[in-house]
This record gives sequence, C-alpha cells and structure tokens, in this order.
Amino acid sequence: MIKSIAYPLHVIFLAFSVLFVPDSEAEEGVLNVSTVNYPLKFFAESIAGKHAKVSLPMPTDIDPAFWSPNAEDVINLQKADMILLNGANYAKWLPKVSLPLSKLVNTSTKFRDQYIPIESGVKHNHGARGEHSHTGTAFTTWLDFSFAAEQAEATFNALSKKTPKFKETYVKNFIPIQESLLAFDTELTQIGSVLNGMALIGSHPVYQYLKKRYHLNLQSVHWEPEEAPSEEQWKALKQLLKAHPAKWMLWEGNPKKETVIKLEALGLQSLVFTPSANVPEKGDFLSEMKGNIERLKIIINNSKPIL
Amino acid sequence: MMDSLYLAWRYIVFNRKKTITLITCISLVIFLPFALKSLLNESERQLMSRATTTPLLVGAKGNSLDLVMNSLYFSKEKPDFISMKSVDKIIDSGLALPIPLYIRFQAREHPIIGTSLDYFEFRNYKIKWGRAFAMLGECVVGAELATHLNLKVGDNLLSSPENLFDLAGVYPLKMTISGILDKTNSTDDSAVFVDLKTAWVIQGLGHGHQDVKKIEDSSVVLSQSKNLVTTSSKIKQYTEINIENLESFHFHGDPSIYPLTAIIAVPQDEKSATILRGRYLSEQQDQQIVRPKKIIEDLLGNIFRIKDFIDAIVLIVAIAMILAIFLVFSLSFRLRQKEINTIFHLGCNRATVFQLISAEILIIILASGVLCFLSLQILQHFQDRVVHTLFIS
Repeated sequence: MIKSIAYPLHVIFLAFSVLFVPDSEAEEGVLNVSTVNYPLKFFAESIAGKHAKVSLPMPTDIDPAFWSPNAEDVINLQKADMILLNGANYAKWLPKVSLPLSKLVNTSTKFRDQYIPIESGVKHNHGARGEHSHTGTAFTTWLDFSFAAEQAEATFNALSKKTPKFKETYVKNFIPIQESLLAFDTELTQIGSVLNGMALIGSHPVYQYLKKRYHLNLQSVHWEPEEAPSEEQWKALKQLLKAHPAKWMLWEGNPKKETVIKLEALGLQSLVFTPSANVPEKGDFLSEMKGNIERLKIIINNSKPIL
Repeated sequence: MMDSLYLAWRYIVFNRKKTITLITCISLVIFLPFALKSLLNESERQLMSRATTTPLLVGAKGNSLDLVMNSLYFSKEKPDFISMKSVDKIIDSGLALPIPLYIRFQAREHPIIGTSLDYFEFRNYKIKWGRAFAMLGECVVGAELATHLNLKVGDNLLSSPENLFDLAGVYPLKMTISGILDKTNSTDDSAVFVDLKTAWVIQGLGHGHQDVKKIEDSSVVLSQSKNLVTTSSKIKQYTEINIENLESFHFHGDPSIYPLTAIIAVPQDEKSATILRGRYLSEQQDQQIVRPKKIIEDLLGNIFRIKDFIDAIVLIVAIAMILAIFLVFSLSFRLRQKEINTIFHLGCNRATVFQLISAEILIIILASGVLCFLSLQILQHFQDRVVHTLFIS
C-alpha cells in the first residue's frame, strides 16, 4: 500500500523538480534572463547584478517590438531560464513563436486592466464572415513611470522567486531603481500640471501612457525621425495644427535637420523624448529618462530646445 | 516410454480433426482467463501511469471522465471548452504551473495536441530527431506515428478537416515536422504536438492572407475606405506557414477567450494543490478541477467489477468444457475398445495400454499449453494497441 502511494508521489516530485527547482545554471548563481526591450533589460541587470546574464536578443538598431526572430533566435530564447515580457501586446513576434509558459514573466500583469486600447490602421473582412478589426494595445507602458516601477517590481519578484538565496542583494539593488522611477513620476506629474493642457504633438504613436498619466494634451502623427515626411504627411500635420495648435513636437529620436527647420517655419519646436525601447548608445535607462524630463522642462522655461 | 509416445503421436496424427478440436478447446479454456487478466493489467498500467503523473486537471464542468480521457489519453470525446483566461487565473494564483491543452483536431486520424513546450518537460520527454517546435506552424510527432507514416524531420503533415461536409470551413494547415519524440510507451507516441497558437490557426482563429492593401483585383476587394477593407472569399489564404508568409499571420479577437479543452495544473506542493482545488469548489464555478488518479481508480473499480463477473462466467464455461472433454475421451475409449483388445491380444498388459492413453492425453495437453502460450505472446505484443482501442479510444 505504502509502495503504491510512494511511486506516484515520487513521480510527481520528479516533475516538480524539473519545473520548479532552479536548473543547474541557476544553482551556480548565474541566471540566463532574456528580455523583450531595453527597460526590462535594464531592470533585470540592475536588480540581479552579477547573478544574472541578461540579454536583449535583437540588434540594437531596430525597434524590439517589431523584431522578426528566426527559428534559431527562438531556440536560443527557449534555453533561457526566464523571459521577461512587457505585456500589452508589446512584442508583435510573440504570437508567431513557441516559448515555454513556465519561463514567461509578464511584468505588466498587475496593471493589465489599465492597458490603453488602440485601433490600428486597416480593418478588413472576408465575405460574409463579418468585419475583423485589428485592434491593439498601446505598449510603451514604461513611459508611465508608476507602471515602470511596477514592472521593475515584477522583475524583482520573478528573480527573487527563481533564486531566493540572492533576495537580499536584489532588494538592495531594486530599492534605488524604484525610488528613481517614482521620483520621475512625481516630477512628470508636476510638469503635467504646469503644462496645464498645452497642446503637444507626438511624432509617433508611442506616448499614450505618458499622455494619460501626466494629463498631456498630446496628439500623435506617424512620422519617423530618420525619414523626411512626405507631402501628404505635411498636409495632415497642417490640418491637425488647425484643430490642435501645438508649439512643440516630441520625437522618439533626433529628427532630420531639414524636418526641424520646416517644422519651425510652422511654429513647431522639436524635442526628443525617447522611449529607449532598445539599448541607448550611451548612458542607461535612468539617464535617458532623466534627459527626457530635462528636455520637457524646456517647454516650461520656454527656452531654446536642445536636440 | 518412447514407444508409447511414438504410438500416441501416430494415433493423434491419424485422427487430426478430433485432435485439433480437443487442442483448440483446451487452449481456449486456459487462454481466456489469462488473456483477460493480461488485458486488464495492461489497461490498469496504461491508465494509471498517466493518471498518477498528472496531479490536477482543470476543465469545463461536466463529465469528469470525458475530461480525463480526452486530456490524458486523447479520446475522441471532447469536453466543453474553457478559455485562456483560466490559464491566466492559475498563473496569477502562483499556486501551480498551468500546461494548457487543446485536443480537438486530427491529422491523418491521429490527435493534434495543442499545448505549450512545458508539456515535454513535464512528461520528461526527449526529442530524438530534430528539435521542439519554435515557429508557428511547426509540429513534433510521436515515435510510433513517425514510424507508421514514415515521417522525417522537415516533412509536412496536413491537418484533417473537422467535418468533411463543412465546405465553408477553415483550410487544412500544412504543418512542418520540426522534431520526432523518443518512444514514450504512452498515447503520446501516436500524437502530433503543436503550439497552442498553431492549433488556433488550424481552427481559423488566426490566419495569414495576401496584404489587403496591395490587392488590385476588384473581385477580391469589395470595398475600401481609410480604416476598412472588405474582401470577398476569393482572397488568398495561406495553408502553410513559412518564412515568406509568417509575417502575414495574425489572430483576431481577444486571445484571452481563445478555447482550450483542459489545463494540467502542476502545483508547487500539496498545500498549493489543496488551496487551488478549493477555488473550484463553488457552485457558481463553470469549471472543475479533478485528480485524474481518483477518476481512473473509479473507472478501474468498475472495470474490475465487470472482470469478476466475466471470471465467474469463464469458470462455468471452463467446467462445462472440461466435462465435455472428459466425455469426448470416454466416448473415444469406448469406440476404441476393439483397438484396445487387439493391443491385449498382441501381448501388452494393462499398464502399457494406460501408458499409451496417458501419452496421447499428455501430447494433447502439451500442445494446448504451447498454443495457449504462443497466443498469449501474440496478445502481449499487441495488447497496448488492443487496450487503447478497447478501453481508451
């Protein structure tokens, strides 16, 4: 009787050990963590320190949300001990690949009811089956710094659960990051209230969470900083300016000089507010965000923009 | 003694029909109870081995046996569907690891198991050839299936339509085999494993088609506005997922309400299992959580009750048959009275006659034993399939 109970228990225990007990690499103290964007890479690296090897698998010159991994990339991802996801339909490649659920950590689960829905460009239908709308979700969640702090906390929790013996180090590393993010949140809340509904334009639809959290009166166009806008885009902007008389335009990256001059002719000053979705050329996530906030203050001071 | 055996053998060979009938009857009497016991033991082994290694199963409220049989043994009876929300619920609870299952479709009469990669790790399976599925549209097949259909890594396998008469239904999906599992001696050996998302593509929840913005054929694009393109059914939908068209594949609607047939819940410990089970006890719940081991034990209890009944019948039949054989031998000796008298006249004593008759009986019983043994060996060779067909499918 005891033997008949002991066997199944033993088998279940083995299954647990496969799924829950940290693997050999983790036991040695170096977790192999993969991330889907730079903010998460920064959080994981900063919190785990030497106890994790954190990677962002895509090249640094592309938007991680629109990366197209090949089978080899996916196989490498499958080997990670933990894969930190942004949630909010961020990584558009995720539905096209197979990753183990046990390794996925959605860092935005806590606020998923606050995701901002968006309607994408084209709806279509197939004959009589009815209309299909390609609805989506705004995904640059970390530009709401209270959400960024939540994501950092989710990263901290996931790391602590995976390697509890390093929790003390993780706590020590996490607190300053949380404090910085919450300080940014407070600062931006103040900036938002000083701007008091001043019309702004975003060069790309990535500022939804920034707009919502800090009450910015921001409308977005769909321009790329490194590309000269087409005539049609200029026309659409002029049309938008009639209803939304903005004096400032926020850019993801440095816009082309000609575009800046042309915008100035329309009375629009340019300002970089980078989401830092991929690894920055210099500095880190906190310094990049600090820079964003400093540049926003230029609007309040009404001084000359620094690009 | 050798002379007696030789004479007995010649007699048996001469009376072939009678001997064959006797050997068949005796073999059957011995074979039946052993075969039944062997089949039931195998069914117990097959059923219990998976049930004991699957701690908890979450599914729609209803027939718990259907839920277990579909989820563990891929039977054709499908339980009602639950949604991906149930997976999120288990993840959020932090009490167990959920392994979703969507067992609905087939490929060449073999079940397609939509799941996550955790399934292989949970069952401790190894990929013998190739690798696990990585991209949408890839599949891993069981060892037996690969042998049976002569499949290799890189070959394609087409999903079967659910209903042959559903002409407007979704197109079959041509899946690429990325790996072949090592033999597992379970129902997984005959299954096709795909990522859940691939299973949803088979269902039609996700699909890939021509870029609607680039179609110039007016018979395909019925109307076009800034935000809406209406196309006719003539639009080219892809039935195979490859590098060229992967980008065009997309899913419609809210993925959290996409269907599943069950979730294997692997709790962290016994306490987590108890708490998790408690969360499904409410009357308002439209889902149930079951311990497969308990369900299978109940099922086996019923099977063994039937076995006791069959054993009793076999015993009665066996007694009747032994009496009949005894009668056959008595009548045979009476018919052979002249032959026995001749043996006496030749100078043989009673003991020699007894020796001759005993040798005949011994040869018949030995032959029956050998036939019975061979039959049992053949049965054992095929019993996993027999059991699967009789008790599981």
